[in-house]
Amino acid sequence: MIDPVEMQDFFAAFFSGALVIVFGAIYALFLAWGRLRGSRNFIAAAYGVYALLVIAVLVLAEAMHFDGFWNLITVVMLVGYLLAPHGIWLLSRDTHNEAEAKFNSD
Amino acid sequence: MLGVLDNNNLNGGQKLAVKYFSVAVILFVAQILFGLIAGMQFIMPDLFFNVLDFNVTRMVHINAMVVWLLMGFMGSIYWLLEDEAGVETVGLKLGNLAFWLLTSAVTVVVLVYLFIQVGPGDDFTRWFVNEGREYIEAPRWADIGIVVCMLIFFYNAAATFMKGRWSGISGVLILDLVALAGIYLAGMFYTTNISVDQFWWWWVIHLWVEATWEVLVGCIMAWGLIKLLGARRQIVTTWLYIEVALMFGSGILGLGHHYFWIGTPEYWLSIGGFFSALEPVPLVAMVVHSVYDSGAHKFKAANHPAMAWLIAHTFGNFFGAGVWGFMHTLPQINLYTHGTQWTASHGHLAFFGAYATIVIAVFYIAVQQWRGGVWMSGGLAGNGWKWKWALGLLNGGVLGMTMALLIAGYEQSFIERAIEGSTWQGYFVAQVHPWFIQGMNWRMVFGVVTAMGIVLLVWDLLTIGKGENRAKQEV
Repeated sequence: MIDPVEMQDFFAAFFSGALVIVFGAIYALFLAWGRLRGSRNFIAAAYGVYALLVIAVLVLAEAMHFDGFWNLITVVMLVGYLLAPHGIWLLSRDTHNEAEAKFNSD
Repeated sequence: MLGVLDNNNLNGGQKLAVKYFSVAVILFVAQILFGLIAGMQFIMPDLFFNVLDFNVTRMVHINAMVVWLLMGFMGSIYWLLEDEAGVETVGLKLGNLAFWLLTSAVTVVVLVYLFIQVGPGDDFTRWFVNEGREYIEAPRWADIGIVVCMLIFFYNAAATFMKGRWSGISGVLILDLVALAGIYLAGMFYTTNISVDQFWWWWVIHLWVEATWEVLVGCIMAWGLIKLLGARRQIVTTWLYIEVALMFGSGILGLGHHYFWIGTPEYWLSIGGFFSALEPVPLVAMVVHSVYDSGAHKFKAANHPAMAWLIAHTFGNFFGAGVWGFMHTLPQINLYTHGTQWTASHGHLAFFGAYATIVIAVFYIAVQQWRGGVWMSGGLAGNGWKWKWALGLLNGGVLGMTMALLIAGYEQSFIERAIEGSTWQGYFVAQVHPWFIQGMNWRMVFGVVTAMGIVLLVWDLLTIGKGENRAKQEV
């Protein structure tokens, strides 16, 4: 069952939904840039943006009346947006290192 | 000879690709023209009443978009085919025949749409006039023709790679083409049960757009990055595999967000909600890779307009599909937004951002080669004002329409759906609300901006590189 959004929460539901994705992208951007440049400030800023993402997810969950199964979606968003950029960073680094090594040995 | 449009600069597949691109551009113009008329009909409901009704202008607007993008994709594949396989295109005559078949069929179908706008819903109509399924209204004979053309297209591509060399890009491409042709069949049979009909119809609409088209675009993008930036094939191919896994992993069952309100079992609410929440994750994760690549390598682009359109693609895909999609995809809010101008807002930005942009990028790659591989980096004649203005007007126009439709959709969700409870009266109350009317007016303004952009784009595609005597920058 779902419990639809109440009218007074429409804006909160739309806006927090958009912010989840936007903050997710800014978090990924700062994290990657910080690691690339070795900048602790950028990495700290990334986690600051992630904290905003957590707030956006919680506002969304509240406005959408998430309950039961729907709480899983909250967890998936919080964990997915936190870890996916780390995973993609590792994949980026390793695929590039492997390709560069092969290119140099050729 | 540099700077002159000359077919001798093209291989067999590319000559065929140019034909597809030409028809695609004509249909792109038709899409915008019919979009302008449809937009105007919101402001002046009597416009062309009983001559060219809104249901027809809207249908042609959307069908033209689907077909021009499809033709753009097919042209793009023919364009890269020989380069990727290392041999001449197999069955090119058949490919040419399929092109003329498809173009003739599209022409006849549109003419029938325009001349027979009203009629009975019987077998004759379904077979020869209009099948009635939104977005894929083409009658049954044309459906069969489309599948035949897609099979010939598949044969051209698969046989060429089999004769030449396979690569990661070609492997993914061929598997995707099987799905592209196969899934279309799901929208071709007739059933009297509207829920069953919608169930299968969404296979074509969603699985084409959010699975097979995305992967097709991924293949074109992968090839484009190698050509435009000199990106290493091994890296690009690895990332193509990752992208396919992420897209299919979240996109296939993301189909569930279309099954919320069509009479399917309630578990689709959970499945659709869960996978819809996952769908933006690949888009966000890709930001990391973009930053890594741009920071780790200092690339020089061989074709600035094409590169600019690829960048527009990444932003358009992220905002149009990611942000605009997720804002109203969960059932708790989608209950109020589906079928309102919210959907149109999302559709405009997502289709333009994810698909139109990348096809336009390939148009520029094609023109560069067609003119003998001319210079298209910095320092173009007139500082490249035409392509820059076309880029700005088209993106600004679509973004403006998106915002205007968003405001109108927000008002509809509130008044028509939440306050008035989706009643017929509620529909009309929402249609005359100032927010809706102003939204439609502003949509029209930005529609005109978009139309100015397409005029400039066509002019630029016809003239860019003309008389240029520098060869393209090596990457």
